[in-house]
Amino acid sequence: MAITQTTTRAGISRDTLVKWAPLLVLLVLCAFFAVMEPRFLSTRNFARILIAATPTLMVAIGVTFIIIMGSIDLSMEGAVSVCAVAFAYCFLWLGGTLASWAWLAIPFAMLVGAVLGFVNGLIHVKLKIPSFMASLAMGFVGTGLAMVMTGGDRIRIEDELFRALLTERIFGFPLMVYVAGLFLLIAWFIQTRTTLGRNFYAVGGGEDLAVASGLNVARVRIMGFTLAGVFFAVGALLAVGRIGIAETATGNNFMFLSITAVVVGGTALWGGIGGVWNTLVGVLIVFVIGNGMVVIGLPGYVQDAVLGLLVILAVILSTDRKSISFVK
Amino acid sequence: MSEFIKDFIEKEKINRRNFLFASAYGLGGAAALGALGPTMARAALTDPTIAWSYRNRTNPYWNEIVSGGEAFVQSLGMSKDALTHLINEGSSEKSLADVKAILAKTGGNLALAIDTNDAPNARPVVEAVAEAGAYVSTLWNKTDDLHPWDFGDNYVSHMSWSDEGPAEQTARILLDAMGGKGGVVHLGGIASNNPAIERLNGLKNALKDYPDVALLAAEPADWDTQKANQVMSAFLTRYGDEITGVHCANDTIAYGVLEALRAEGIEGMPIVSYDGNPQAVQLVSERKILATVFTNPHWGGGITAALAYHAAIGSFKPSEEPNEHREFYGPTIMVQPEDALEFKANYLDSVPTYDWNDFWGPSNGPITYK
Amino acid sequence: MYQLNQVDKKFPGVHALKSVDFTIGRGEIVGLVGENGAGKSTLMKVIYGAYQPDGGTITIDGKTVRFQNPRQAMDHGIGMVFQEQSLITNLTVAENIFLGFEQQFVRWGVIDWKAMTAAAKRQLAKVKLAIDPATVTSKLSFAQRQLVELAKVLTLEERIDGDLVILLDEPTSVLAREEVELLFSLVRELTSRASFIFVSHRMDEVLELSDRIYVMKDGAVVDVVAQAEAQVEAIQHKMVGRDVDKEYYREQKQRPYDASKVLASFDNVSVAGKYDGISFDLHAGEVLCLVGTEGSGREAILRTVFGLEKPTSGTIKVKGAPYARTTAQEAVARGVGYVPRERKVEGIVNGMTVYENMTLSQMKNYSSGGVLRIAEEKALAEDWIKRLSIKTPDVYKDCGGLSGGNQQKVVLAKWRSGGSDIILLDHPTRGLDIGAKEDVYDMVREMCDAGAGIILVADTLEEAIGLSHTILVLKDGVFQKRFDGSPGDKPSLYDLVHHMI
Repeated sequence: MAITQTTTRAGISRDTLVKWAPLLVLLVLCAFFAVMEPRFLSTRNFARILIAATPTLMVAIGVTFIIIMGSIDLSMEGAVSVCAVAFAYCFLWLGGTLASWAWLAIPFAMLVGAVLGFVNGLIHVKLKIPSFMASLAMGFVGTGLAMVMTGGDRIRIEDELFRALLTERIFGFPLMVYVAGLFLLIAWFIQTRTTLGRNFYAVGGGEDLAVASGLNVARVRIMGFTLAGVFFAVGALLAVGRIGIAETATGNNFMFLSITAVVVGGTALWGGIGGVWNTLVGVLIVFVIGNGMVVIGLPGYVQDAVLGLLVILAVILSTDRKSISFVK
Repeated sequence: MSEFIKDFIEKEKINRRNFLFASAYGLGGAAALGALGPTMARAALTDPTIAWSYRNRTNPYWNEIVSGGEAFVQSLGMSKDALTHLINEGSSEKSLADVKAILAKTGGNLALAIDTNDAPNARPVVEAVAEAGAYVSTLWNKTDDLHPWDFGDNYVSHMSWSDEGPAEQTARILLDAMGGKGGVVHLGGIASNNPAIERLNGLKNALKDYPDVALLAAEPADWDTQKANQVMSAFLTRYGDEITGVHCANDTIAYGVLEALRAEGIEGMPIVSYDGNPQAVQLVSERKILATVFTNPHWGGGITAALAYHAAIGSFKPSEEPNEHREFYGPTIMVQPEDALEFKANYLDSVPTYDWNDFWGPSNGPITYK
Repeated sequence: MYQLNQVDKKFPGVHALKSVDFTIGRGEIVGLVGENGAGKSTLMKVIYGAYQPDGGTITIDGKTVRFQNPRQAMDHGIGMVFQEQSLITNLTVAENIFLGFEQQFVRWGVIDWKAMTAAAKRQLAKVKLAIDPATVTSKLSFAQRQLVELAKVLTLEERIDGDLVILLDEPTSVLAREEVELLFSLVRELTSRASFIFVSHRMDEVLELSDRIYVMKDGAVVDVVAQAEAQVEAIQHKMVGRDVDKEYYREQKQRPYDASKVLASFDNVSVAGKYDGISFDLHAGEVLCLVGTEGSGREAILRTVFGLEKPTSGTIKVKGAPYARTTAQEAVARGVGYVPRERKVEGIVNGMTVYENMTLSQMKNYSSGGVLRIAEEKALAEDWIKRLSIKTPDVYKDCGGLSGGNQQKVVLAKWRSGGSDIILLDHPTRGLDIGAKEDVYDMVREMCDAGAGIILVADTLEEAIGLSHTILVLKDGVFQKRFDGSPGDKPSLYDLVHHMI
């Protein structure tokens, strides 16, 4: 008994550290930037950070579910582009304002996201292609599809009602922040309160075991990718709401930002550990750095270096290197 | 796929011809003097094959370039399919191999327009063409020590663009609009990109004449709307009301800046950009952007082919032309609110019919080397 | 010749070794027994140099030594045969044997494969293993791999002039009985060249092989007995500090099964390459034990019942009807529960809480429209924690942090609470200490009383005999003999072994 006790005791402190480290990092970063430049610490600036962060938050939440399952989804850039462009065309075609039937474009875009995710999951599960490869390929297909649809053009969404996402503010924060908050709660509900969420953890914690418990793992995986697709679509809608433009490039950068955010937030890449709150903290860390660096006047390339270091730090923290002797 | 998307795709196909995605990132066009070169002049050719060698057509900018080449071929009374496309997909090796293959196939009876993909590749291409007695005009890429006049008639011309001058002009428009005082921020392209550097230099040159304007910050926004949006937001936190003008390295960046300002309810902030995209031109006409710069790739692609062709058939003798007719900058058109709609009607909504025999009319002076 | 004097080892908060004295003479086989956590592993790690003691000394032939790492210990002739097989499965046998010591075969920067293969052959001959050293390790059986491990350690012979001490950590855990015999005879022969320290959970084996036995409890050596005086019960008493019940396997609680109620039946079932023509009926309240060596088809039969393996011929009926689809989901729906051998891999999900693990196979019963009724899940978990006296602070505890025995209880609770009445147990007591084993035996009896049928692949033959109503002996996938196991009329070990081999 003696020995097991030591390991658990050491383990608890480590676990606690791993659990709270991301939040700690976030607070330290905020404190640092606030000291360097007091203007960082203002409601208006936090609103700016959140405006920038919300689309990535949605995408990162989508990919969080997949990572919890121990898979990975790299289709976000293509998916976001397609959803954004599909939304924009549908929206304009149906009247171009939320006051008309054009609101249907919102569920339509989410459906498009779901279909992309579904196909992605189907390819991964049925053809037994590693999720990393299947989703990366789907992402390219998505980018290509968006390019074909737009011919490289940009589609502007000028509807004041839709743009109220950005322009209308409650307590100093624009509507899109509240919308993102709502979807964060939905994601949290799915994670903790539904069989699907539970199944994600079971598959990520031990796929053999999930099978031995009679779970339909293939179905869980496909549903996971579908759900991720829906969140990619929400991210796309907020991205369009933020800059009023839908184009192939709408999806740019989401892969790096969202995966970085998930990892920095403390969700383990091998599955089973983490969740949407981790992802929220991770996304905030990434965007606080992005904003804070400019606010205190550091050049952009320092930002990338700092982010890269944080990723390594996060992985070091979240890996019990005693249990893993070799890394491939 | 639904009917409306099909419709849009159809429309876009037509539109693309008018759509100028003048974002020639990374295609440096610098130069310098001195060289040697073998010359094997031969009498004018008859009915040479006309070819354009370029990256690929899915890139809107190159699509525009090549559509100019096609327009030129059509002006000769041929079908546009008469233009031979040599697509290098971004590979200098493939570019050179294609050129050698077509020289062998045509026996040197060739008028070639080419972007050699990178500067060092220009010399072997030009030498191969001159060796075979064919004619070549280059666009964008060549080393500073390679000059058309070192190859007699066979290396007809080289065209490139410098962004520093036009960027300085837009900067002056911006600084004037700011009343010659206050603070300006610059949102640039990818930091190491040549056009990004030139466009920032343009702003810096202009600022020398405006001592009361402070350059508050210059931050790369990677030619990206969303990144620009984020960077501008952060600028607003750092400088707040100190910002009275924004200098953007291209139109895509300006869109992000406009939305960052809209989010804060800021209106009427003077902004200038670059590239002359249709939407930017529209915004210029609405005075949301004060100026953008149009580089007319359609004309550039057409005239490069025209120069090679006419030199080949002997319409003019390149070696008798002055140097500024053999190395010159491409056209830049300043688009400002007063003329934006007219410009849009002339250049974007319909393709103007160019006189492909007016080789140097719209060009922008001889290339200078630093 | 090798001696630990008053060796102490402390970890933060724990006194893992309390001034341990330990001696091993030339050519001696010393047994080391103790419950999980008694300090056996720590002691071994000190011996082979993975840990440095905080107090006391280590002497070899009277000279004090101090090892910074296992490599230094090896240079003094101390080698370890690991419990978790340390061979790299995608390398060949020869490469594994000389892993880290290839230098001796390098000529002009290139490995001389011929020399290495020849040398490997010599090592394999020491353990009487007639395999091609160029075989990829993954192709070997577990028993063969164990011998390769031993061969690898025996390379010390050539490298070291002095005496050898070889540690065997649970070497028999993956071996069938005849393989154990083979290993033992080999070890006895090798005592001419080396001393052995033998660690095992299986008391009978320790007694059989060892010259002397060290008994550990709570980090201290509580007794040293010579083989002649050793008695299983006395040792177990010392280990656990209490009497081990004569009715260890709860035979007094064994009730006759209900022969009229067949839960599952095999009729001449075969799975190509695994087993052939197996027939049996599993009745309510029956413990049916499959006995055979590794690879005799025991596990494959369990997997077939659970829908993981599709029979190539024959009929399986579960609750009177064959499976519509051969999947685990179908089996679970019919009331089959599977307690796999590797709890960490297939039994519980690390990182999920106790209650989440318990309802994993039956979430449908605790959700409406995909939304979980967590309060009910927790109530269920609390109920079963009480019923099985699972040692956990609360239902939120991460299952991975529970001890092996309690994990096993959670797995059993998962199936029983879900109403499964055909329970497949694959080595359910492997790696558990005596107390936890007894709990499992109690649960087996309770499940039978509740009308469940159990198919068991036991960890030891004694366990198989003690627990079962019916024993089926298998050999190479073919049925050998059926024994009746009513209390008082149980077959002997010899009866079984006779048909197994």
